[in-house]
Amino acid sequence: MKKTMITLLASISMFALLTAGCANKEAVKKEEAVVPPVAVEKAEPTKAVEQTQPVEETAPVQDAVVSAVAPQDTQSPVAENRFEAVYFDFDKSDLRQDSRDVLSKNADVILKSLPNAKIQIEGHTDERGSAEYNLALGEHRAKSAQKYLITLGVKAENLSVISYGEEKPAVSGSDEGAWAKNRRAEFVVVK
Amino acid sequence: MKIFLALLLLLASSASLYAQSGYIEVTAPGNRQLKMAVAPPRSLDVSPDSASAGIASDVIAYDMNLSGLVAAEIHTEQSADKGFPPADIDFVPWLSAGFDMLVRSEYSLKNGRLTIEFRLFDVINRKLITAKRYLGTAKDLRRVSHAFADEILLALTGEKGPFTTRIAYVSTQTGNKEIFVMDWDGHNPLPLTKNGSINLNPAFSPDGREILFTSYKRRNPDLYRRSLSNTAEVAVSRSKGLNITGSWSPDGSKIALALSKDGDAEIYTIGKDGSHPTRLTINPALDLNPAWSPDGKQLAFVSDRLGKPQIFVMNADGSGVKRLTISGSYNVNPSWSPKGDKIAYSRMTGGGFNIFVIAPDGSSDTQLTFDGSNENPSWSADGRFIAFGSKRSSGNGVYVMRADGAGQAKVSHGKGGHFQPVWSAR
Repeated sequence: MKKTMITLLASISMFALLTAGCANKEAVKKEEAVVPPVAVEKAEPTKAVEQTQPVEETAPVQDAVVSAVAPQDTQSPVAENRFEAVYFDFDKSDLRQDSRDVLSKNADVILKSLPNAKIQIEGHTDERGSAEYNLALGEHRAKSAQKYLITLGVKAENLSVISYGEEKPAVSGSDEGAWAKNRRAEFVVVK
Repeated sequence: MKIFLALLLLLASSASLYAQSGYIEVTAPGNRQLKMAVAPPRSLDVSPDSASAGIASDVIAYDMNLSGLVAAEIHTEQSADKGFPPADIDFVPWLSAGFDMLVRSEYSLKNGRLTIEFRLFDVINRKLITAKRYLGTAKDLRRVSHAFADEILLALTGEKGPFTTRIAYVSTQTGNKEIFVMDWDGHNPLPLTKNGSINLNPAFSPDGREILFTSYKRRNPDLYRRSLSNTAEVAVSRSKGLNITGSWSPDGSKIALALSKDGDAEIYTIGKDGSHPTRLTINPALDLNPAWSPDGKQLAFVSDRLGKPQIFVMNADGSGVKRLTISGSYNVNPSWSPKGDKIAYSRMTGGGFNIFVIAPDGSSDTQLTFDGSNENPSWSADGRFIAFGSKRSSGNGVYVMRADGAGQAKVSHGKGGHFQPVWSAR
């Protein structure tokens, strides 16, 4: 119970950081420019994860300034960053409880800020399994997320799915840490 | 291929007489492996280009060694015999060096025009087994040498080799996944697609002139058909969702593939122009990866209808579905042998995959690879060999092995990863 509360709190604060960070595109862009390019090119899985931290942590500092300057833009090119990815178990496409929580938050973002945006749900798998089967599995994952968003009130006609199977891993690496990050559905605002 | 080959069977009478008398017993149990000498080609020109001509003997020795039928080695001629009639050849040095067979060749290369004549001799019986003469250009040398290796197999076993065929595969040489085509032995790799997107699962048409593949170039995994001789490329299937694992029927009239327009991946057949879609599977599970039997009457495919992906077989109209693989919890990539007697597939074993073969009735399930992770088996046209994608300590890429798993050799070379090989018909 305590553990769930902590995860819940952690995910809420993560979400707050994320939305705050992304609401402020200027700040995010500046932060990215400051990061030395060398660090960006090093694509070790652990680094990739760490890299997102500074952006999220520093963004809120400038948040007040920017939200005063510009109100939230609903058609922003980096709008996909508002959404958290949803993760899956190996060879599974059913939604875990944590995935349902994330989808609820994503649905909130869509309903409140992007009610008319076209959103594509990308289904992905880890590198294990056959590439062909993984294309079908990735689609199944994207459709699980799609169905759940629709039950939460998101308009079906605004949601589409595409599967990349194992072709577009989020992180490289051949261990459970990398695999867990790659078994996911991502949400992208499309034109 | 821009090649005008004139094939002239010389001394046809002696060759056919030999065929009637029965083939050499190269596979009988207990027999020692026969030894074949491959002599570098002799030039008939005044100023010979012997360096490039040496390719001919290299190619033949490589092909013959891969076949496993004989142990071939390059062996320079010890005598200065001129002429081809067996009566003119001193077989004694070859015999005393332990050879059972001898391949000799003579060539002329003038202004880029190649004429080459190959002969296979039975050293023990001092007679000619088969002979061929090829005309072409200098760049055809590898191809005509492979063609004679095919003839050697025909003479020794009654069935031609697959050495003039090609393998299509996915390569990341350019940084993303593009379809490439190479000779079966890895030479002459050429990019077929250059669209910068993700391109997957090539499949040859039965006449070997076109390739099916799935591409994301229009932001959806759609199925395309592409000519090998020009850049003509047409979309065959662009349904909403997946249009994947396309496979041409043996008579060339239809394509089996997996479509997800109904909600989940289901197997369909369509005309080769995409017309007349016919749904074969109706199942809430994932059904994909159809592989035709050589008579076109059945399809092997992958389905997770029982929980995990397994291989099933059904009639080409979707009736009579039967589970094929019983062992292993994750079996994929079925590929039906050209003779119809075996289905190769890959099974998840521990961390990776290995290639297995099984009879279509589910018997004789046999593991062929044991090293690293091995996927996407594809048979050569004669059923003698299987190409597959491998990740192993001796190097990742496209490998070729004999149908019993022996003689595994890496054939793809060059930058990037090489995956999903598929062998052309003859």
